[in-house]
Amino acid sequence: MTRREGSRVLVLGAGVAGLSCARALADAGRPVEVLERARGVGGRCATRRVEGQPVDFGVAFLHGRDPGFLAALAEVPARRLDGWPVAMLGAGRPCQPEAFTPGESRLAFAEGISAFPRHLAAGLPVTLRANAVAVEPEGAALRVRLEGGGAAEAPVVVLALAAEQAHELLGTVPGPPPAVASARALLDQARSQACLALIAVYPPEAQPPAWHCCYPDGSRVLQLAVHDSSKRAAPDATVLVLQAHPRWSREHLDDPAWPERLLEEGGRVVGPWAARPRHQEPHSWRHARHDRSAELAAPLLLGLPGGARLGLCGDRFAPGGGVEAAWRSGRALAHRILQEVP
Amino acid sequence: MRQPELDPLRALVQRDQDHECEGFGAARTCVRVVAVADLPTRFGHFRLVGFWNNRDAKEHVAMVHGEVVGGEEVPVRLHSECLTGDVMGSLRCDCRDQLTEGLAAIRRHERGVLLYLRQEGRGIGLINKIRAYALQEAGLDTVEANLALGFRDDERDYAVGAHMIHSLGIRSIRLITNNPNKVAQLTQHRVVVSDRIPHVIQPNEFNRFYLETKARKSGHYLEAGGAGRLQEQADPAVVAREAGQEPKA
Ligand SMILES: Cc1cc2nc3c(=O)[nH]c(=O)nc-3n(C[C@H](O)[C@H](O)[C@H](O)COP(=O)(O)OP(=O)(O)OC[C@H]3O[C@@H](n4cnc5c(N)ncnc54)[C@H](O)[C@@H]3O)c2cc1C
Ligand SMILES: [Zn+2]
Repeated sequence: MTRREGSRVLVLGAGVAGLSCARALADAGRPVEVLERARGVGGRCATRRVEGQPVDFGVAFLHGRDPGFLAALAEVPARRLDGWPVAMLGAGRPCQPEAFTPGESRLAFAEGISAFPRHLAAGLPVTLRANAVAVEPEGAALRVRLEGGGAAEAPVVVLALAAEQAHELLGTVPGPPPAVASARALLDQARSQACLALIAVYPPEAQPPAWHCCYPDGSRVLQLAVHDSSKRAAPDATVLVLQAHPRWSREHLDDPAWPERLLEEGGRVVGPWAARPRHQEPHSWRHARHDRSAELAAPLLLGLPGGARLGLCGDRFAPGGGVEAAWRSGRALAHRILQEVP
Repeated sequence: MRQPELDPLRALVQRDQDHECEGFGAARTCVRVVAVADLPTRFGHFRLVGFWNNRDAKEHVAMVHGEVVGGEEVPVRLHSECLTGDVMGSLRCDCRDQLTEGLAAIRRHERGVLLYLRQEGRGIGLINKIRAYALQEAGLDTVEANLALGFRDDERDYAVGAHMIHSLGIRSIRLITNNPNKVAQLTQHRVVVSDRIPHVIQPNEFNRFYLETKARKSGHYLEAGGAGRLQEQADPAVVAREAGQEPKA
């Protein structure tokens, strides 16, 4: 066992950003701990089992070009589907247009996208179901209060959350010190986009479609239909994941009928069969992603009056957006912590 | 127009057709000379040299005065693009004065080069600069926030600038700057800096920025909240008290 030395770092959020930050710190010998409010790791790199079959209901596939990011993906012990999605339908604009530009690698995992965050988390001390509700300076440290009464303390705390979630948590810092007020104002200037996502499982008589992904043109409702079961080795059922357009998603977040309306549009766009699943599971992503207009160049590492440090990373905090940016921002923040905080 | 074989700058375009090196700086940026043309300006006649680079779509350029290819002790000024200052005449920064004074200084010598480094681009660039100004207005601009907004990556500028100097075949330079760190940075990239020429802004009716300095000192609009101004050029401003007079420091 190597002895861990240096200031302890508490990372809030076990998405790709938080995990890549914690991983880099741990690899450098820093004591680190991750708190995650959900029941599993990965955040928006989300896979769940539906009737035993993995379904990616957040990111549908991974893409990037940063050699470090691609090397990290290459280490994942899972069956890679290189180049996925290959078969495309529709001439709509992809949500991440750069995913389909020359030089960009695309891939998925047969076991599900979450194979990547699960691999990043391997060996890290991650506490699940730990929802941070407040952050307060406590001498030279920061105290993180958890839902249900617990608390954790460390001289360095990293918020690796969606930008809006970080904004909210920063709002609990008493004072607030100028550095925190400035960071909140910064996050306030650009917002994430919502995405309503529907998992649809079809009866055996449904013919699996020939495409992997469909970006329909001429729909204001449906942005992307993913043929999720085409990623699985021996799927028991045909599964689609329907992702709605950002604007439509925002307007229908509180409309209980959105799953039906999204299915109806799915039927119109990819064929009547798609409107009639035998099972469906909705998921509302309030903060799904952002476009290039909202991206920042680097993570933040704020200095607080008592001497504690508060870091912010996440997909917003590196150019390009998405999973690659989340991973890079976490690494960049870890690098700064290692350099600036003994 | 001179024949390529007689024009050292146009010969560089041919030389660089398939140029590839391991690159400069952390990003390992490599540039090529790709286009040359005359550019008469209100500051005098220059030749404009366009550079391609292998990292991004930013098209850096050099404004060349006189014969510089193969030259020694060539006066060189590095300027970082600033749309609001250079073009719109913003008084939030002194970029326009730094640019025009840089060009005037080069014209006072027999030859010289101004490297115009493009940095404002999509995503991180102009929009985030407007955001930085908005934070400034609210008194909420901090070094951390400006870093996150992409201000500013000097290291990258020096790496690109150094490669451009090498590409122009300049053997040694006299760097026009008030920032000794710039000399050290370029030296790291194997640029021979034989001398430093102070960059002094002559006050006149056009560089109103300095007239506004008084307003700023009395707590006017440029420094709301008392936070430090965004440093858009890596050069601290040095102003001659009167035309022709050298500053103290
Ligand atoms: C439907 C959908 C499709 C997408 N498609 C693509 C795509 O094609 N390409 C692409 O690159 N990107 C895509 N994205 C975006 C991508 O998923 C994200 O950019 C990336 O996963 C963000 O990672 P992160 O670590 O920054 O944030 P997250 O993954 O959101 O991680 C934050 C974590 O913090 C946890 N958390 C939040 N609040 C608290 C709290 N108070 N206390 C403790 N824990 C907390 C959350 O539960 C979460 O696990 C998509 C996203 C969605 C939703
Ligand atoms: Zn400027």
